[in-house]
Amino acid sequence: MATYNKIGVNKMKVPGIKSFNVLLGWVVPLAILLVWELMSRTDSNHAYAFASLEQIYAALLEITATGELQQSLQASVLRALTGLAIGGSIGFAVGALMATSRIADTLVGPLYNIIRQVPLMGLVPLFSLWTGNGDTSKLLMVCISSFYPLVLATYESINQVESKYREVGDVYKLGKLRSFFTILLPAALPNIFTGLSFALAFAWLSTIGAEILFNAGAGLGNMMMNAQSTSRMDILIILTLLIGALGFSMNFLIGRLGAYLFRWRNLRT
Amino acid sequence: MNTKYWFDKRWRLASFISPIALLLVWAWVTNMQWFSPQLLVSPLAVLTSFRELVASGELQEHLQDSLSRLAFGYTSGAFAGILFGILMALSRKIEVFFLPTFQAVRQIPTIALIPIFILLLGVDEVFKIALVVKAAFFTVGLASYEATKGLPRNYFEVAQMYKLPTWTLYRKVIFPAILPPVLTGLRIAFSRSWTVLVATELLAADSGIGQMMQMGREMFRLDIVMVGVVLTGLIGFSIDRVFKWGEVNLIPWRTVR
Repeated sequence: MATYNKIGVNKMKVPGIKSFNVLLGWVVPLAILLVWELMSRTDSNHAYAFASLEQIYAALLEITATGELQQSLQASVLRALTGLAIGGSIGFAVGALMATSRIADTLVGPLYNIIRQVPLMGLVPLFSLWTGNGDTSKLLMVCISSFYPLVLATYESINQVESKYREVGDVYKLGKLRSFFTILLPAALPNIFTGLSFALAFAWLSTIGAEILFNAGAGLGNMMMNAQSTSRMDILIILTLLIGALGFSMNFLIGRLGAYLFRWRNLRT
Repeated sequence: MNTKYWFDKRWRLASFISPIALLLVWAWVTNMQWFSPQLLVSPLAVLTSFRELVASGELQEHLQDSLSRLAFGYTSGAFAGILFGILMALSRKIEVFFLPTFQAVRQIPTIALIPIFILLLGVDEVFKIALVVKAAFFTVGLASYEATKGLPRNYFEVAQMYKLPTWTLYRKVIFPAILPPVLTGLRIAFSRSWTVLVATELLAADSGIGQMMQMGREMFRLDIVMVGVVLTGLIGFSIDRVFKWGEVNLIPWRTVR
């Protein structure tokens, strides 16, 4: 460990070291890839589980040529965004109501806290009995998953608005509605947006989960379950990596969007 | 919900209004028989089928299977995560080699790994436990990595000055310092593990609380499904409370407001 501490210090002075470290980061993935490729070549027993790189590439061409990938991708992304829009707006409304009205807080708060305890995937059998195995149930799951974080974020960020801001509204006799839109909401908006970015992550996660658990309709999760039942490891690897990459890019994009929208804030960092 | 109302007894009592009202409306609607019993069963029917499941011993068996999977997968995943996180934060060698891979794999939602894990490991116990381990390992690993990374350099300089042996450094400096954020990580990891376990049991299992719900779904027994929904919620809630209690009470040096 001691010698590498020296490297850590050297990093500041020698410009080549940092890129060298980045190269070292590729060692583990490449090693995994190499072992994977070797396993796929050892015998036919392994070949079905460990798809070779050629196979994966061929499968990628295959599913893009048939249009299956594009179709599922579109269905999943659209579902995540629709669910986020619906569940998120309801969540925002409920959270804002709870933060501004004590009656709503005492009535809705306990129900929200009770229902939220059920793990999202545990609701799958219930929805399948109520609304079937298709798109309605899937969308409902995504709505709920983005509803929870926005209620909490809206409620807490409005409650955390400093009281001196509220007093300005009282001084100008703005009334409840106007002081909400001109004072509370703008002050709470950056934190609500953080809640929105959590909601986006949850929406994506629950889209994939719902598609895996509800077997009717199109979507990346449905495509994965089909590939699993026909033992197509090559397709599965493509889809899993794609889901991870999409989730990462969504988080990245919404983070950048937030930084751009709220650039008027004077943050120290 | 808000703690500032907590001491106000009237408001505290008032928070029971809406859950009780919901129960009453639920009972009334089922009593009017507007919906078929496959769509809505009365709260009493849920209670009755809960009693039946307990009397036949079925429920205890399912619970035991689920909870032992959870306990085994979660403890091993979380333990490995804590150690790996600390090592990755303290040793540049390990960080340089493993952090990029760790961050990349973390991006893949555990639930999206279900199909691949089924193909690689089959649908037996190993597959379910492996998914729980994955969920726990990456969440706790990240928390412990970031907590250790955030430790002030002075701590280590003081330890070096006193020439603390490695084990004492860990036991007296590192572990206590990273405990609060790691406990939070453990709590989040638990709720993720529980959700993932329920999902895998819904998909492929011959026992467990998820499988019980899946069976209820296939036989159109809404009452059994409801028992499962309430139980998974209760289990998640109570263990979450235990962790929260730990976050407040196990860290005596942290000032609690």
